[in-house]
Amino acid sequence: MKVENIWRADVQQRVFRELVEAFSRPGAIREIGDCIDGAVAQRAVLATLMDGEMTLADPHGQIAPADWPLLQAKPSANEHARYVAASGGRAPDFQPALGSLESPEFGATVLIEVDRLGQGETSLELAGPGINGQRQLRLAGLHPDWLTRRADWVGSFPLGVDVLLSDTRRIVALPRTTQIHISGGVR
Amino acid sequence: MNAFSHAQSGNAYNFGFLDEYAKKEVRRAILKAIAIPGYQVPYASREMPMGRGFGTGGLQLTLSLIGPEEILKVIDQGSDDSVNAVNLRHFIEMTCPGVSTTTKTTECTLIQSRHRIPELPLTSNQIVVLQVPYPDPLVVVEPSEDKRKTMHGEADYSRLLVKLYEDIVKFDEITISHRYPTRINGHYVIDPSPIPRWDVPKLNASAALILFGAGREKKIYAVPPHTKAEPLAFSDVPFRVEDFRDEHGHRRACTRCGCTDSFLDEFAADSGSKTYQCSDSDWCDEQMLLARQTEGEPA
Repeated sequence: MKVENIWRADVQQRVFRELVEAFSRPGAIREIGDCIDGAVAQRAVLATLMDGEMTLADPHGQIAPADWPLLQAKPSANEHARYVAASGGRAPDFQPALGSLESPEFGATVLIEVDRLGQGETSLELAGPGINGQRQLRLAGLHPDWLTRRADWVGSFPLGVDVLLSDTRRIVALPRTTQIHISGGVR
Repeated sequence: MNAFSHAQSGNAYNFGFLDEYAKKEVRRAILKAIAIPGYQVPYASREMPMGRGFGTGGLQLTLSLIGPEEILKVIDQGSDDSVNAVNLRHFIEMTCPGVSTTTKTTECTLIQSRHRIPELPLTSNQIVVLQVPYPDPLVVVEPSEDKRKTMHGEADYSRLLVKLYEDIVKFDEITISHRYPTRINGHYVIDPSPIPRWDVPKLNASAALILFGAGREKKIYAVPPHTKAEPLAFSDVPFRVEDFRDEHGHRRACTRCGCTDSFLDEFAADSGSKTYQCSDSDWCDEQMLLARQTEGEPA
């Protein structure tokens, strides 16, 4: 039986280590394209993190029907899911879980697929834990509403959402502690 | 199954001993721990083939992180060859075929440690996993976990500060020798595991990611790189590290390598005399090598 790379344990370990690096250093672009063998990064991240214990929401139809049984995650409403897979091109039309004061880990991890990381019309200036001073991030294909909505969602720490942006091959994390300043206009 | 393992000949266990579901559970907790610096993320801690309290929390973190290209260092109280370190290293070598182990801090990519952070400054390519017996610094002032979770959420550490103040009233200084409560990124206060005060400043703006695993208490927390870590103190009673000066005010040196800027262990001889030696064995070896090289050079 030929198993697609992203469902292999050793590949998931490598993707996970890239996720650790991404969340430890917000705004730093991590390349996972080589080890996931043509799969889309968001799908590889889901394969790495999902199992039957997790709830997953798919408001923008990002997940192929055939993947649901493999992911094993329980489909869930947007406002309750621990993980949300979304498309960056569309404005966020939902309210994710923000966790509670006692259990902020219930704040959702929102996986947003964008067109391109590393270049594009949006330029962000980032600061916060994991960043030595400041870090720049350019990207394309993120609806501007995401950044305003995210600012609301992470407004009262420790509550909030942790965002993972991805294009086809790359990932970038914006955990709830990252302060984002939109620095660039259209270019 | 959504994580197919490679069958490994001659090894009945999955790579890394834990099954893939157990690893996913730990991995999700690790990511949340990094995203919420200092917050103790609860997780489903598995039974390991060793007693809880022998580093099962740290071990589960290591086994969930580790890949075949890893270069691993395991230390116990600074030493690579004390019982806990040797046993854990042997277990990981057995269950993770392909992983290399080392005693050199410069070479490793992953460090599992009990009670010390290496003397050599860490790099951004390294991850430190610390074994934690008691994760919650508030347990000394509040027995109910529910209430502690609220206090943590509100960053309400007034009772902990009162506890420190009581120390000052009684002894004129804060007497906590290890597990010094440390505030991460201005919010959560963590128990940084039983590292000496000497190691607490290394948490601040560290280049490496530092992870904490408490297996018995089922908690994982993290200090991400370049994150503020401030030991709790008062403006008029600042935090200070261990003082290794003798009665004449001279800094004691390691009897083995002569180093005067490392954390020292005290050894008492039967005669009652005391000797001091570097606690970090790799650091001590490196210093000796350096000294020998310098001596060997023509004047």
